[in-house]
Amino acid sequence: QLVSALHNLTRHVVYRGLTGAEDILRLFPENFHQNLKNLLTKIILENISAWRNEAQASQISLPRLVDMDWRVDIKTSSDGIVRMAVPTCLLQLKIQEDAALCGNNPVVSALTVELSKETLDTMLEGLGRIRDQLSAVANK
Amino acid sequence: VSSQQFSALTEVLFRFLTEPKEVERFLTQLTDFATMNKISLGPLKNIVKSILLVPNGALKRNLSSEQVRADFIALGLSEEKASYFAEQWKVNSPTLTRLAVGQTLMINQLIDMEWKFGVTAGSSELEKVGSIFLQLKLVVKKGSQLENVYVELTLPQFYSFLHEMERVKTSLESFS
Repeated sequence: QLVSALHNLTRHVVYRGLTGAEDILRLFPENFHQNLKNLLTKIILENISAWRNEAQASQISLPRLVDMDWRVDIKTSSDGIVRMAVPTCLLQLKIQEDAALCGNNPVVSALTVELSKETLDTMLEGLGRIRDQLSAVANK
Repeated sequence: VSSQQFSALTEVLFRFLTEPKEVERFLTQLTDFATMNKISLGPLKNIVKSILLVPNGALKRNLSSEQVRADFIALGLSEEKASYFAEQWKVNSPTLTRLAVGQTLMINQLIDMEWKFGVTAGSSELEKVGSIFLQLKLVVKKGSQLENVYVELTLPQFYSFLHEMERVKTSLESFS
């Protein structure tokens, strides 16, 4: 019962985003032991940002990007053309499935995609537009 | 076959080569040519088939127009017609090469990319959040099927992704 009560208290503090000592102190009932109240508040305050970050990190989300890698190849020959020199890009994205669904064993899959120069240019155009929109939002 | 008819036929052939998907149109034009010039369609088709072998082989081996001309003369075509064909070849070869390269094998080709970004307002754990997320939908061609891949990125991840992609572009450009 004690653990459950503590759990509820910390969850409430994290949920509400309480950051001040007075806010937390106010949560305790009137006749609560003074020193215990102060000690608990102090501990909660110390841990609050770590808990919030963890809650945010384990939110439900679409699969998340965890890593990316790339390499550029030159295609020199194929069954269609015996000699050519076409550069192409291989991009590997490491994607982690929804953390909330995987519990302690996150499933990371690697997706390797090939991009021609044209595709890359179009992609960069799109990414540039995202960047412009982001800075417009940030400057508001 | 007179030189006029030959140039008309060559035109039809090259139009087909540059747009290999227009098979029906090619066949219609061949039939028209046959009726216009009072040649029967069967032998015409055979001749066209053997003529088409030359540009296809030339494309594969990156032959110059000189070599194409020599090939045709070796096959028994008159010098005038062979030169005409070689000229057409020179004009059309960049397009044809580009087409052939475009058909080269590509693994998991990226076809399309869509995105949206927004703000996470709240969640079951945190009442007010306010963090920005970016969601990408990548359309990838696996074999003959299209697969959608959904990924979420944080802002710092997005910026380093953009930075890496710009490095790739520089690298690709230095090799072209």
